[in-house]
Amino acid sequence: MGKFLALPDADEPARPTELTPEEVSLLMDGELDADRAERACHGLREVASVQTWVCYHVIGDCLRGDGAPIWGISKRLAARLAAEPTVLAPSRARPAPAAVAWAVAATVAAVGVVGWVALTTMPLPPSAIVTAQRVDEVRAADLRRPVVNEYLLAHQEYSPTTAIQGVRPYLRAVTADPQDAAK
Amino acid sequence: MAALLWVSLALADDATGWLQQAAAAAKQLNYAGTLVYQHDGRVETSRVIHMVDTTGEHEKLVNLDGPAREVIRNNEQVRCYYPDAKIIRIEPRTYRNAFPSLLPQQLDTLAAYYFFRKAEIARIAGLETQAYIFEPKDGMRYGHKLWADLTSGLLLKAQLMNDRNVPIEQFVFTDIQIGIKIERDTVRPSFRPPPADWEMRESLPGDVVQQDTGWLVKELPPGFSKIVEGYRTLRGKVAPVAHLVFSDGLVAVSVFVEPMPQAPQLIGLSQQGGINVYSRQLNDHLVTVLGETPGATVRQIAYSVAHR
Repeated sequence: MGKFLALPDADEPARPTELTPEEVSLLMDGELDADRAERACHGLREVASVQTWVCYHVIGDCLRGDGAPIWGISKRLAARLAAEPTVLAPSRARPAPAAVAWAVAATVAAVGVVGWVALTTMPLPPSAIVTAQRVDEVRAADLRRPVVNEYLLAHQEYSPTTAIQGVRPYLRAVTADPQDAAK
Repeated sequence: MAALLWVSLALADDATGWLQQAAAAAKQLNYAGTLVYQHDGRVETSRVIHMVDTTGEHEKLVNLDGPAREVIRNNEQVRCYYPDAKIIRIEPRTYRNAFPSLLPQQLDTLAAYYFFRKAEIARIAGLETQAYIFEPKDGMRYGHKLWADLTSGLLLKAQLMNDRNVPIEQFVFTDIQIGIKIERDTVRPSFRPPPADWEMRESLPGDVVQQDTGWLVKELPPGFSKIVEGYRTLRGKVAPVAHLVFSDGLVAVSVFVEPMPQAPQLIGLSQQGGINVYSRQLNDHLVTVLGETPGATVRQIAYSVAHR
C-alpha cells in the first residue's frame, strides 16, 4: 500500500531521525514537553527507536517482575507506527520518574544498549531475563533449573514431540547446566 | 472454495498419516546413532540406542559432551543418571506414546493452524530423507521442519523455527544405523548396579489423576484444546500440583498450578531452545506454563489462568 501512496510531496515531512536512548527514556517517563514529545513520537517511526522503546519497556516489565516480552512485536509495531498518523494526547501530569526508570537506566548502562536492542529482535537467552530480574530481587540461580526440570519431565510425557522423537526431547532436561540440573 | 478445503483436508490427512508413521518408526525400529542437539548457541552431542524385544521398548541416551549423563527408558519408565551429582532420578510411567491416537479435532487443528507442505529431498546422516514443513498461520506457535528417512520413516532431523524463520532448536542425527541387531546389554545403564553412595530419587507415581481441578484458561490461543486435566505429585512439592495439558496436535503446553511455595520463585519468562516457560503469582498460587511454543503463547496462557 505504501508504495502506491509514496509519491514525492513537498509537504511530506522529513524522514524522522532516530531517537537517542535518553530521549526514549524521557518520553517513557513523560519528562518531555509537548514539542519535544511530538518530535520524539515522530522519531518513533524509526525502527531502531521503536526497538529501543520496546526494549526499555521489556526491561521495566522484567524489573517489576510482572511482564515478559512478546517476541517479534517490535517489527510489527514499527510497521504499524510508520503507517499511523501521529496523534498526540495531551500530556498528563505524572509523578516523578519512578525508581524503575532509574533501574532501567542502570541496567541499560550495565548491559549496553546495543546488546539489549539486539535481544529484542532475537530469541532471548534465559540468562538475559534472569539478569534483569536479579536487579529487582536477588534469587539464587540454582532455584530455577530443578523446578523447571520437574515441570519439563512432567510435560514431556504428554507432548506430541516426545511421540515422534522418542526419548530425544528428554535431552532438554538432562543436558542443562552441569551444576544444577540434577538437584 | 470446496476444492481448497478438500486440498487442505487431504494435506492434513497426509500430514497426520506421515506423523503417525514417524511415531511408529520411532517406537518399533532398532536404531543406534549419534545425535546432535543445538539450542541457544550450544551444541551437545549424544549417543542414542533404541531396541525392541519381547519385553517391549528399551532406549538409552548418553550425552557425549560434559558430564556423562544418561537417560534410560524401559517402556514407560524413564531413569535419568547424573554421575556428576551422584543422583538417579526414577520417573515411573513418565513416558507414553499418546500421539498415535490423536483426537479428530486435533487433526483438523493441524490443517487450520499450520500450512503443511512437502519440502526437499535431503541427505542426512548418509540417508535420503524427505523434508516436511509445518508453517504456522499465526504467531502462537513455532514453525516445524522435519526430515524423515525415506525407507523407514524414522525422523532424522527436527527443527523449530521462530517467526523470522530462524531455527531456534535442532535435533539431528549425524550418523545412524537403522534396523540393526542390538544386544539388550547395550541399552542397560552404564552405572549398574549404581554405586552405594548415589542417591536414588524416585518420584511417586507421576500419573495425573484425571479430575476437574477448577482451574481454567480463559483465553486459550486458538487451535489448542485440553487433552488432560488433573492433579499430580511432583518431586519437591508438598501439595499436589494441578496439571492441565493443551495441544494443537503438533506441540503441547502444560499449565501447572500449586499453592505459592515459601521459597522465592523466579517469576517471568525463561527459554531453553524450543521450550518457553512463564511463571507468575496468582493470589496464593504459583502458575507455571511451559511448552514448545513462543514466549507470547505461554505468557498469554499464564495471564488467563483463573479459578472457576
